[in-house]
Amino acid sequence: MNKKEFIKDNISNIIIRIITLIIILLILFAFKVTLSAILAITFIYLCSFLIEVIITYYKKISFYNDFKTKLNNLDQKYLIVETLTEPNFLEGKILTNSLYEIDKSMIEKINEYKKKSEDFKEYVELWIHEVKLPVSALTLMLHNKNEDKKLQEQLSRLDNYLEQILYYVRSENAEKDYLIKPINLRKVISNIALKNKDILLEKKIDFIVSDVDIEVLTDSKWLEFIINQIIDNSIKYSKEQNAYIKILAKEEKNHIDLAIYDNGIGIKEEDLPRVFDKTYTGSNGRGNKNSTGMGLYIVKKLINKLGHKINIKSKENEFTLVKITFIKNDYYKVAKK
Amino acid sequence: MPKIKIVEDDLSLAKELKELLENAGLEATITTDFSNILEELKREQNDLILLDINLPKLNGETLLQQIRKEQNTPIIMVTSKNNELDEVLSMSYGADDYITKPYNPTILLLRIEAVLKRSMNNQETLNYYNIKVIPQKGILKSDKNEIILTKNEMIIFLYLLQNKGRIVTRDEIMTDLWNNNEYINDNALTVNISRLRSKLKEMNLEEKIETRKGQGYILHE
Repeated sequence: MNKKEFIKDNISNIIIRIITLIIILLILFAFKVTLSAILAITFIYLCSFLIEVIITYYKKISFYNDFKTKLNNLDQKYLIVETLTEPNFLEGKILTNSLYEIDKSMIEKINEYKKKSEDFKEYVELWIHEVKLPVSALTLMLHNKNEDKKLQEQLSRLDNYLEQILYYVRSENAEKDYLIKPINLRKVISNIALKNKDILLEKKIDFIVSDVDIEVLTDSKWLEFIINQIIDNSIKYSKEQNAYIKILAKEEKNHIDLAIYDNGIGIKEEDLPRVFDKTYTGSNGRGNKNSTGMGLYIVKKLINKLGHKINIKSKENEFTLVKITFIKNDYYKVAKK
Repeated sequence: MPKIKIVEDDLSLAKELKELLENAGLEATITTDFSNILEELKREQNDLILLDINLPKLNGETLLQQIRKEQNTPIIMVTSKNNELDEVLSMSYGADDYITKPYNPTILLLRIEAVLKRSMNNQETLNYYNIKVIPQKGILKSDKNEIILTKNEMIIFLYLLQNKGRIVTRDEIMTDLWNNNEYINDNALTVNISRLRSKLKEMNLEEKIETRKGQGYILHE
């Protein structure tokens, strides 16, 4: 609020004062009051008016300017109430009290939704764990009855979708339910290899792993899910002939790179920037591969939470290369010593 | 025959698990009453316990701690909770391994074997007829000669040897190879087995590995 704005806001008040003054002057003239008396009255009138204006101006300007700068600087604008000093004029008091009430009711509402979404999340997690029991039982039954691998494959798909929703819920959740510790990449890759062994063999995709005997700081379960989603895509979009997936880790000065390379159908250049978008499935004949477009979206969210980096390079019909970067943490090394 | 206790409240799952273990030549028992489970486990002489984390009325992790106070029977925790924190907790409470549902049955068997082997500490030298198997060096030794096996051939031979007299499926051998970080394909497996055969032949052990069509292989005793 500056002076101009203040005057503009009080223009009606000023006009009324001027008109009042004119009327008073006219009356004084009509009653033939002496000029010195008229001047004295006018002076007093104007002085009192001016003083009133100045006092109100400074009262308000300090409050509103403070209000505006604080509002601008705040990340969470609704926290403004907590930062204000109690104003000493009525409008200001009404304003701060109202804001306080509004905030309170908004926070109550937010807590209500928070609670609902927490309950939902808890239920989904519980539900997934329940569903995993019949999936396990079915897996064992198929194995014991020596059934066709095809049935098992469908079960694996089902399990993969269950994992997706589980990690979606986890990635949406604000609270930290992962645990960072040193993990050998070879162990994670080994689990993923065993998980995908049947489909890799059936589709005759060669699985080539080298130099992954490196420790990184991560949550092994989350990382396993992440890499599994990438491998799942590599398998889904592999070519019929001479398909392979190569996995390679490399230790640099400040970070460790894990590269997952496949010679599959690749991603179109125009689709590349959007592969991490929610429900984006792209063109490239990927539409009929029953993809939800959620896999990489969840991957990206988890990667961000863990503090790793991911990027994808691809050339259509030639290759896809996914690189995950783990930052080396010197603090950890110090602590370990 | 190693005796394995299945502590799992989902009865159909427990029964399938029992069948799986029995098919693999292990002795397995299930439990239906969980109120006295601790006493039951104390009373029995098990070689390994498969312990579910979500049990009625009690938590598998608590049970694990209680068992550990009394005995050190190997315990593999089995859970549908795929969570790093739970795993770290279980291991710190003294579990020997941690497996999440749904598990691949062959992998479960391999992990059980691994834990059993660790606990029984059977460092006996492996012998087959007149030959001595030295896995660390990757060689087969007889009085007259010595033959070098590749890493893959050794993994296959050891698996056949440990399961000799029983039909072993290609999938089992393949799983064992992949479990040892050797991600070979079907053709390579066939090649490896035929090379292993000819190497055994050099040791005067002809036709010991028999192919059972559509079933797998059997190493004769």
